[in-house]
Amino acid sequence: MRYLIIIAAATAAGFGLSSPYLLQLITFIGINTLLALGLNMLMGYAGQISLGHAAFFGLGAYTTGVLTVHYHWSPWAALAAAIILTVIVAFLIALPLLQLSGFYLGMGTLGFGMIANVVFRQWSALTGGDSGLVGIPSLDLGPVSLSSSRNYLLLVWAVVTLFIFLCERLIDSRIGRALKAVHDSERAASSMGIDTGRLKVQIFVLSALMAAIAGFLYAHFVSFISPGTFDFIFSVRLVTMVVIGGMASIWGSLLGAAVLTLLPEALGFFAQYEMIVYGLVLIVIMIVLPQGLFRGIQDIYGQTKFSGQSPSAGSKD
Amino acid sequence: MAKRNSVGKALPPVLKIESVSKSFGGIKALGGVSFEIPSGGIHALIGPNGAGKTTLLNLVTGAFSADSGRIVFGGSELRGMKAHERVAIGIARTFQNIEMFGSMNVLDNVLVGRHVKTRCGFLGAMARFPGIAREEKQARARALELLDFMGILDAAYWRSCDLPFGWQRFLEIARALATGPKILLLDEPASGLNAVETAKLAVLLRRIRHSGISLLLIEHDMNLVMDIADRILVLNHGVAIAEGTPREIQANESVICAYLGRDLVGA
Repeated sequence: MRYLIIIAAATAAGFGLSSPYLLQLITFIGINTLLALGLNMLMGYAGQISLGHAAFFGLGAYTTGVLTVHYHWSPWAALAAAIILTVIVAFLIALPLLQLSGFYLGMGTLGFGMIANVVFRQWSALTGGDSGLVGIPSLDLGPVSLSSSRNYLLLVWAVVTLFIFLCERLIDSRIGRALKAVHDSERAASSMGIDTGRLKVQIFVLSALMAAIAGFLYAHFVSFISPGTFDFIFSVRLVTMVVIGGMASIWGSLLGAAVLTLLPEALGFFAQYEMIVYGLVLIVIMIVLPQGLFRGIQDIYGQTKFSGQSPSAGSKD
Repeated sequence: MAKRNSVGKALPPVLKIESVSKSFGGIKALGGVSFEIPSGGIHALIGPNGAGKTTLLNLVTGAFSADSGRIVFGGSELRGMKAHERVAIGIARTFQNIEMFGSMNVLDNVLVGRHVKTRCGFLGAMARFPGIAREEKQARARALELLDFMGILDAAYWRSCDLPFGWQRFLEIARALATGPKILLLDEPASGLNAVETAKLAVLLRRIRHSGISLLLIEHDMNLVMDIADRILVLNHGVAIAEGTPREIQANESVICAYLGRDLVGA
């Protein structure tokens, strides 16, 4: 049902809107949703922070960029390569990093993100360095060209819907419960027979994989990538999307991604004060709706609908 | 809860602790403790605070590893086995300071306990193979059964952190039982319970034992311990000072000394 709403909304937007600017904006919301959703699986559900997720976004984008531009691979073969490479890198990074927790994990992932950014910047023979990688081809799906903004929007939102669907299933399962258990108490989780170390590595890899797919979609959409897109600030922005939308909330990821994608556009003239406004928005949301926008709005809706009933009566069903 | 073991028969011990020692820095928490828990028994572990009771329990569950000595469970030595692997072979525990999964409801807490008895992985969860739905249904039925057994079925859909304290203790036991243990290690299950709840706990622990699960119980409530334990091991300063039936322990000179202080007894 909810999936139909997204698909219908995306289709309506794709066919109803003619402004390339709006189509592009909605496509970016989709790409950011994919990133925020992946990070939320790791951060919101399993409780493991990553301040280096832009690295995996970049890894996906650069792998497909380099392979299609320099080696003339088909984008779909490049996608497969990007996925495999990301899984390997994420796995190797996760093994040592997820021994850490809390601030230390934050610092560790931050370091990884910075190293990756330096690689994107300095390995100029492949990545084009600071001047970026130009001429990444657009996608084709058999006979259907996805070069038009409308078709690309539909592709991106189809992928987003698919991942929302998969993540919802994952959360409502044995694995989802185990993830939440690790978040609540790692000690108790392992005393229930959960291999917490392995589970954390697995969810980290899944999260990185989703970021890489977002990177693939991004690279073939904008056809030009440069290291600045995949820097530390972007990692922080992803964390902000998750927190604003709501930790451990799949639909909150969509909302958080939408708000943080639209905010700079809405600011327009005040764009130079962007970071100040970000900060203020974050502070206000954390004070007023500490569970994030999605849960916060749900609660407010619930209160007006069930006003008069005790909260415990509401939480039973 | 099907199988029945009559108590006192000469079954091989389910858990065997052989001269186990553990030090933290310069502090010797356990200095060569040995004892056995017969299959289907209730064994209590008592002693003053800091005697090493919880340390011993943590060695059995694999939270720490022993400096020396052997821990044998169901015939195989546990050394080198990780905590989560020990759960899978039948060692379950509860915590002294309750450790629930506070963000989940009561039923989901118990379902986490079914983790080792279910197989569904990442792909299975996403693809929802037919077997997964069946597995989930069975796990759910078992979890509800256990909540009913512990008398907290009414609270199945409450958020676990909203439960009254006594029910939280019962939830922890239900969750531990969900792992399908052969032995259940309880770290002060009666602490914080009122008299009615403690009486209920005694009944439930006996029932758990009669279902074939052995119990190792750390407890300060002496009435409860004397009431339900088959045998009692008394630890003091990391050393076993006495072992025997509740009657023997009550009459034991060195136990009285450990609890009341030597001067009082000597006077």
